[in-house]
Amino acid sequence: MHFDLASGVALHVIPTKQFKMTHVLITFTTPQTRDNATARNLLANLLETSTHRYPTQTALARQLANLYGAYVGMGVGRVGRLHTVRLRASFVNDQIAGTNLFTQVVELINEILFHPLIDDNEFDGPTFRIQAHNLQQTITALYDDKQFYANRQLMNLYYPTDAILRVPSFGRVADLAKLTAQNLVPVYRNMVERDRVDIFVLGDVDPVTVKDELTVLPFAGRPVAAMRPYYQQPLYPAIRRRVEHQPVVQAKLNLGYQLPVYYQDQNYYAGLVFNGLFGGTPYSKLFTNVREKASLAYYATSRLLPFTGFLGIQTGVQAADAQRVEELIAQQLADLCMGKFTTEQLVEVQDSLINQYRASHDLANNILGRQLLRALLDLPPETAVAEKINAVTPDDVARVAQLVKMQAIYLLSGEK
Amino acid sequence: MDRQTYQEFNRTIYRQRLANGLLVQLLPMPGFQKTYATFSTDFGSIDNHFIPYHEQEAVRVPDGVAHFLEHKMFEKADHDAFDLFGKLGADSNAYTSFTQTSYLFSTTSHLHENLDVLLDFVQDPYFTAQTVQKEQGIIGQEIKMYDDDADWRLYLGLIGNLYPHDPMRIDIAGTVESIGQITPEILMQSYRTFYQPANMNLFIVGNLDPDETLDWIVQNQAAKDFPPAENPRRLFELNDPTAHDVIPFRSLTMNIARPKVMVGLRGIKQFNDGRERLHYKLAVDLLLDVLFDDTSDNYLRLYNNEVLDDSFGYNFEMQRGFHFAYFSSNTDQMERFADEVVAILESADKQIDAARTRFAGIKRAELGRLMGLLDSPEAIANRYAGRLFDGANLMDEIEALNAITLDDLYQVATEFITPQGISVYQVVPHHQ
Repeated sequence: MHFDLASGVALHVIPTKQFKMTHVLITFTTPQTRDNATARNLLANLLETSTHRYPTQTALARQLANLYGAYVGMGVGRVGRLHTVRLRASFVNDQIAGTNLFTQVVELINEILFHPLIDDNEFDGPTFRIQAHNLQQTITALYDDKQFYANRQLMNLYYPTDAILRVPSFGRVADLAKLTAQNLVPVYRNMVERDRVDIFVLGDVDPVTVKDELTVLPFAGRPVAAMRPYYQQPLYPAIRRRVEHQPVVQAKLNLGYQLPVYYQDQNYYAGLVFNGLFGGTPYSKLFTNVREKASLAYYATSRLLPFTGFLGIQTGVQAADAQRVEELIAQQLADLCMGKFTTEQLVEVQDSLINQYRASHDLANNILGRQLLRALLDLPPETAVAEKINAVTPDDVARVAQLVKMQAIYLLSGEK
Repeated sequence: MDRQTYQEFNRTIYRQRLANGLLVQLLPMPGFQKTYATFSTDFGSIDNHFIPYHEQEAVRVPDGVAHFLEHKMFEKADHDAFDLFGKLGADSNAYTSFTQTSYLFSTTSHLHENLDVLLDFVQDPYFTAQTVQKEQGIIGQEIKMYDDDADWRLYLGLIGNLYPHDPMRIDIAGTVESIGQITPEILMQSYRTFYQPANMNLFIVGNLDPDETLDWIVQNQAAKDFPPAENPRRLFELNDPTAHDVIPFRSLTMNIARPKVMVGLRGIKQFNDGRERLHYKLAVDLLLDVLFDDTSDNYLRLYNNEVLDDSFGYNFEMQRGFHFAYFSSNTDQMERFADEVVAILESADKQIDAARTRFAGIKRAELGRLMGLLDSPEAIANRYAGRLFDGANLMDEIEALNAITLDDLYQVATEFITPQGISVYQVVPHHQ
């Protein structure tokens, strides 16, 4: 059920008896710029740490413990070119808690979003310093995961130097130095006053009661703008390659392709099935021919990013085998272009995608994630998904496979 | 079929032990599309010393056999069980822990057929020299991948400190050398010993009709012949049950940017009763929350002094025959982190005194977290630990947690925290 709390502030209530928990998602959406990702991530960290009434994280944590260990946290994400700051809350429903937990959690959300620890137009100094330092450490530590590191390096190779999407949604260490307890305040005001806001409430709740309860959140109206999440970039004249050496035991070979298939466009379901056959499911060619039959990799997967037109492959291999793996991957793609796969494989992948889709209705986060996309794109609820997946023909898959253009290859190798 | 209803959560669990000894438990979750099934045996990486089924002499099998067996179960003469699930629209997987191996699938269609596939592939072993050799390559890669994972090395390094002469010190997957010694005969010997129906349990949660589902399982099992049951004879014994063999400190250098440190605490109490073990575990969980959770003054002080950061975490693991807790963080102050954690542990009584007013909130938070798991078929099935907790399921666990008092915390603190059980492991960047 849909309500407008103010102009540009939408409430979506999804009542269900399926869950014992109630889930709230509040998203603040704006186009990503070169600078805003890091600032908004730091802001999310500051907001979830303390408020005027709960001036330390301990005070806030104690309040959450009292609310049956309610989880309330903030983070950042991205939908194509759009940057989102997200508040997530989940807590035992009022029926099991035997008290008005929903009301109390909404009060806490009000504290977090509208009463941050800002005085005289600056965030509390010590809190700011610690959170900025922690974010720096957290981002640095992310790159200690070599799989993550290799994927980031591939993205740097894939996106042109000036592309905004080169900046990850969680930001960059280098940008943190520019941020201060003062200049983060306008970032905060911009977010709560100008961003598009979507609020989702999922659980055993009554929509009208929810709407009434949420009116305590003092959201002001804001201009409504159409959201443009889709990203495209021109093809490179030649494949970009990079080999890097670090003392790793297992080499990481990552490949980036352009695949202009976008969320809900005419090729979308064919793209999903193609990706499932290529490396997106355990029934895929990468899994069966590279990992299983040739025993050349521990993992070999592909994923399609349907807002950026990107298709990526990640593998973990022996450095000495990298060339062979690359050829084998090229062979799998060539086979898909020629329609060389069995009906049996196609049906397996379709069934797997349908199973994933159905099963995703049992996970609150997936339901909320899907609702967020529909809301941002102003699309009606999705229908007949299984039928659409099953309608994809071998020719459709081959046609989509032929759209795939190799753009970048990155190898992290332990050998010199 | 035995049934038990948990009014408060509007859930009913159905239980039946079949003629062949297999324990079946069914938990319907109305409104869910998915059915999640786990088929588990009490056989894990530490079970490397035992008297095989129908034999007299004890054997020691190479490290990593349980995990290797798990991988190999899927492969048959002319097909792979994984593909059978795939053809039925289900996702399947398996995992091996220190003490357990589980095979599982998740599906939104063809439940009957998928159940047959699960029961049939786990109850029909097929190992050849050739397939064993191929698997050695795949698992070798898996082990190497974990070699680059600093968090995994930290965890395994600490366990190596806590149990320097016990099988837990070795990676669950074994080593490249140890899995090289595995043969089809060794796999079959372990299989016969530990994969008997009476040593296994089937737990199915989600979208299901209990009567119909049980019928399918009974039919499947009745059509098979099983050799006479024989209790597995494990010869697991701790090298030093008093924990005086704990290595107090080791450190490892790796190609990472930030230092990581983990403090471990090994407990020495032994349990005869599963519910007593569960009570102890839940009390220790609460004790650790009192000492270290984000509502504690300790946490705030250490956080503000940058002794720990958001990567800080702690956990208590209760296993068959051993238990330990660990506390870890990325930090530039590794020595101070270890000193502070140890000082807090050693002053546990005083800390509990100071937490009297916080206790109700801490317990309520822990209850809320467990209740949150009621929405996850996977969590309910994966959390089920069988004999370890005398068959307690998530709802039983919530009831047991409800019964724990502040006094229980003093009791477990005295029993659990002993100086010889404490150890520290560091993973340090190259340049330091």
